[in-house]
Amino acid sequence: MLALAALMLMGTEVSAAGNGIVIDGSTTVGPIAKSFAAYFTKRYGVPVTVSESGSGNGAKSLINGACDIAAMSRDMKTQEIAAARKKGIQPVAHVAALDGIAIVVHPSNPVRGLTKAQIAGIYQGRYTNWREVGGPNSRIVVIQRESNSGTQESFKTLVTGKAVPIMPRAESQASNGAVKSRVSTTPSAIGFIGMGFLDSSVRAVPVDGVKPSVASIRSGTYKLSRKLYFYTSGQPTGSIKQFLALPSTADGRRIISELGFISQ
Amino acid sequence: MNLGTRKILDRSFTALGIGSIVVMALALLIVITPIIYNGLGAVFFKGTIEHRKLLYNEFHRGDGAELEREIAEVAVYRDQAYRMLADFELELEGMDPEKAREYRMQYGPVKTALQTLLGPPPGDDSAILTRFRYGQTRWEKAEEKLHALLYESKWDYSDPDVMAKEYFVRRAESFEGTKLAPMFGFVEKNAEKMLLPRFTLYWGFLTDSSIDAHIFGGIWPEIQGTFFLAIGAMLFAFPLGVVAAIYFTEYAKDGVFTSMLRSANSTLAGVPSIVFGLFGLAFFINTLNVSESKSVLAGALTLAIMILPTIIRAAEEAILAVPKTYKEASLGLGSTKWNTIVTVILPAALPGIITGGVISLGRAAGETAPIIFTAAVSVGSAIGIADVLSSPTPALSWNIYNLASEHEAAAEIRHVQYGMVLALVSIVLLLNLSAVLLRARISKKLKG
Amino acid sequence: MSGDVNRDSNRSGAFVVSEGRRKMQKAARTAGESILLLIASFVAIVVLFIFYFVAVDAVPYFQQRGFAEFFTSSNWYPAGDPGEFGALAIIYGTGMVTLGSALLAVPMGIAAAVCLSDILPFSVRQYAKPVIEMLAAIPSVAFGFFALVILAPLLQTSGGPMLMWVWWILAGPFLLLAVIVGSDLLTAGIEEPVRRKRYATMLQVLFTLLAFLVLYVVGSQLNGMQILTGTNALNVSIILSFMALPTIVSVAEDSLQSVGRELREGSYALGATRAETLVKTVLPAASSGILAAVILGIMRSLGETMVVWMASGNSSHIPDPWYNYLEAVRTLTATIAGDMGEADQVTGSARYHVLFAMGLLLLVISFISNLISERIVVRQRKILSGQ
Repeated sequence: MLALAALMLMGTEVSAAGNGIVIDGSTTVGPIAKSFAAYFTKRYGVPVTVSESGSGNGAKSLINGACDIAAMSRDMKTQEIAAARKKGIQPVAHVAALDGIAIVVHPSNPVRGLTKAQIAGIYQGRYTNWREVGGPNSRIVVIQRESNSGTQESFKTLVTGKAVPIMPRAESQASNGAVKSRVSTTPSAIGFIGMGFLDSSVRAVPVDGVKPSVASIRSGTYKLSRKLYFYTSGQPTGSIKQFLALPSTADGRRIISELGFISQ
Repeated sequence: MNLGTRKILDRSFTALGIGSIVVMALALLIVITPIIYNGLGAVFFKGTIEHRKLLYNEFHRGDGAELEREIAEVAVYRDQAYRMLADFELELEGMDPEKAREYRMQYGPVKTALQTLLGPPPGDDSAILTRFRYGQTRWEKAEEKLHALLYESKWDYSDPDVMAKEYFVRRAESFEGTKLAPMFGFVEKNAEKMLLPRFTLYWGFLTDSSIDAHIFGGIWPEIQGTFFLAIGAMLFAFPLGVVAAIYFTEYAKDGVFTSMLRSANSTLAGVPSIVFGLFGLAFFINTLNVSESKSVLAGALTLAIMILPTIIRAAEEAILAVPKTYKEASLGLGSTKWNTIVTVILPAALPGIITGGVISLGRAAGETAPIIFTAAVSVGSAIGIADVLSSPTPALSWNIYNLASEHEAAAEIRHVQYGMVLALVSIVLLLNLSAVLLRARISKKLKG
Repeated sequence: MSGDVNRDSNRSGAFVVSEGRRKMQKAARTAGESILLLIASFVAIVVLFIFYFVAVDAVPYFQQRGFAEFFTSSNWYPAGDPGEFGALAIIYGTGMVTLGSALLAVPMGIAAAVCLSDILPFSVRQYAKPVIEMLAAIPSVAFGFFALVILAPLLQTSGGPMLMWVWWILAGPFLLLAVIVGSDLLTAGIEEPVRRKRYATMLQVLFTLLAFLVLYVVGSQLNGMQILTGTNALNVSIILSFMALPTIVSVAEDSLQSVGRELREGSYALGATRAETLVKTVLPAASSGILAAVILGIMRSLGETMVVWMASGNSSHIPDPWYNYLEAVRTLTATIAGDMGEADQVTGSARYHVLFAMGLLLLVISFISNLISERIVVRQRKILSGQ
């Protein structure tokens, strides 16, 4: 028991002096964070660990001092900022990249396009059959994200609004990748994922007549877009500062665009 | 009921029983077979020259001279293909702009598809992500990508009232009459010569760390993390469990208190694993602050609590199985009770205790739910033994979940996922198998 | 504890141990035993701690929101503003997959246990047991992976035909057996053997046709079924039943073994067949142990996280109609695992505490069922040893 206690004490001491960068947060920012981490570790020899537990969890970890960088696919909420201040932490946002939220369906789904109102209607349960929105006669399988998702929050802000919640019948998936693989294997499914996750296994539906693309997001004609952030506690220093400079370096911009996101 | 019917009923009852056991064996087979088959594919596969290049560049393994020779060999064919691309690009320049635009639209995906298959053209080092710096490393993936290069997948959306059917169009047809058209046939015919697929034994899958979020490389950090967590849990739980078992078997008097303790033990055994995770988060991390955030230590402590009842039970059984005569002989010779326990009972019970320990080790290695909030991260390098107190670690069980349902290219890296599942299942089953063998030896010994 | 005392040194006058030394020895022994006791009570302390720490974080939820919403509403909008935390659908989903797995695993598990203890020869049993143990040892995430990557797509692409085959294979033999037994029972009243035989044959033909009709109609219904989503309650129930089987089999087998030979031999002596002996004599005698096995197996399904998280679809609504196993559901364990992400405990929100409330609910259920199964086992042991 004594040894146990001693070990525990040692644990606190060692971790306080811990080196390396710990990133926690959004699965949307995950690919960027992971690729930056690999690049950074290789280039500067600083170990970087990445957890993808959702934006909310990232914020929580940052507030608790459990991570150095919180990757978030939404703005930090006022309550979160207040909680951080209470703990003496000043969250600082650094934009990592721009991202569009693509509304995706199975490639076999002939639906031409959807309006924002139609999408909201589908997610709130007003439309339950593809026939009602210009598709074939088939029940709509609605896929959403878990509540810890920043993509989910952004989707709600941008599409459904806060007034009417997303219907509980919608299936929840833990990540962008999971939504994509569910939609790509389910002909009558609809889901939403970050642009960076788009590939030929799913089809992005034009929203209000605009297809998600680098150009349409940069110009702002595609409405469902948001910024992705790296939050730090206070102004970063040392290797964390170096890490956060990555999105604006040439290599960093290239990584971002290779991953299908849009650099600022 | 007549006798015939009774006999039939009797037979069918037997058949039902045997059927259930067969179903269980089948269930095991159905679950295990694809895991073994596909999992072995992570180590044994037809590797292309890209795989050998990757190994040489990233892990400095392989025969450099031989690789040079192979690169020269494939270059003969690759250069021709790339030249066709270059010729076509020149041709586009001179074309009617309207038409050129149309071709360009279709040309982009072709170029990407070719680069996905073969890697970037020689001299183009601009890609930063490792996944874009190499072509297909595995031949069966290369065949898929070759198909994607040759055929364009299209969906027939003409009738909005039915789900569209997929159909394939030869890309060559869209470029009929241009300098690009022959490229498709050329690549199709010479794909093997461009990639030199060869049977490969990639043991590095188990000992290398991953590159570019598990798109290449191995799973060593996860294996190591699993061992750290399981062994760490054992370090805490095993001594505690054995001592508790000694108390229960040798010292405890029958009474309300003892039965309460026993009841606590079986309660602990029945607690859902996710609740251990909640407890680990609330107690070890948020209350005791054994580490700032997730760490191997916090995970190991959580797992230790989870496997404690199993160890206690196994150790109790092992101690009870020691013949009474041993103990009586020792006490009769005048040694003290504690002395008897340490020198006579424990050595005799040790194989049984170890069997229980080994099974618990397997359980600790395989559990996911308790480490989600306490120890596991999705990407990280292998941590040193010095970091176990403060650093979180990737672990097989968690990363299987993570790669299968959270990774951005989950469908592209199925072989890695299967490899991980096979590694985890083999670790756990090997531990169990050794426990079974150990137990068989003990029972033989006890029978004399 | 006079047994531990070194009697030799006490009795012989040559080695008189001083009073002080003896006291010290005694004190050391007492201290040693107290340390042992302390370590042995460690488990109990841990259990108390688990209850305490989970409850401490669960109580604020009930303080803030009361009990009614949690248990009666199925509006689960933890991220809403204000959030709604109706867990009814989630509790229902948990019950649904647990029941589904029990429906599959309990009959199969008991049949397998009976087979292991009474039907198979010892040599075969030696090989069957490790198979069961291996099934028990496979990590849950491997099962979850199987459910998500292999079973779910399979259900979507060819779920209907698969269900049809399962129906034919499972229901076919049972219906045929029912035909034989049914016609036999119905004609049992007829005295004259020739007439009875004729009637029996007629009934058999009639029933067989009927049985085939049932098999065919239900089979083609199943065959035509389109499963929209493969990650559903059925998928999870199947996999969970695989996981619960080993527990049920091994505990039930123990209890069947503990029923003595005398009972079996007595029954055989009265002319009963093996099946009759087992069904009418052995199973009732072992019933409480089997009940305990069932409870433990159900606990395993109830507490499982990874499989349900990966393959249940996680949609928090009560399926429509309520018995529709082909719809996605959500369970308590998966909700804890999945929603912990947004657990902003710093703000002390209901959203964080509600997950602990779910943990507490699971904990209480598992505690009670454990107590029950323990009681049952103890009672059975007493009854059997009393005989």
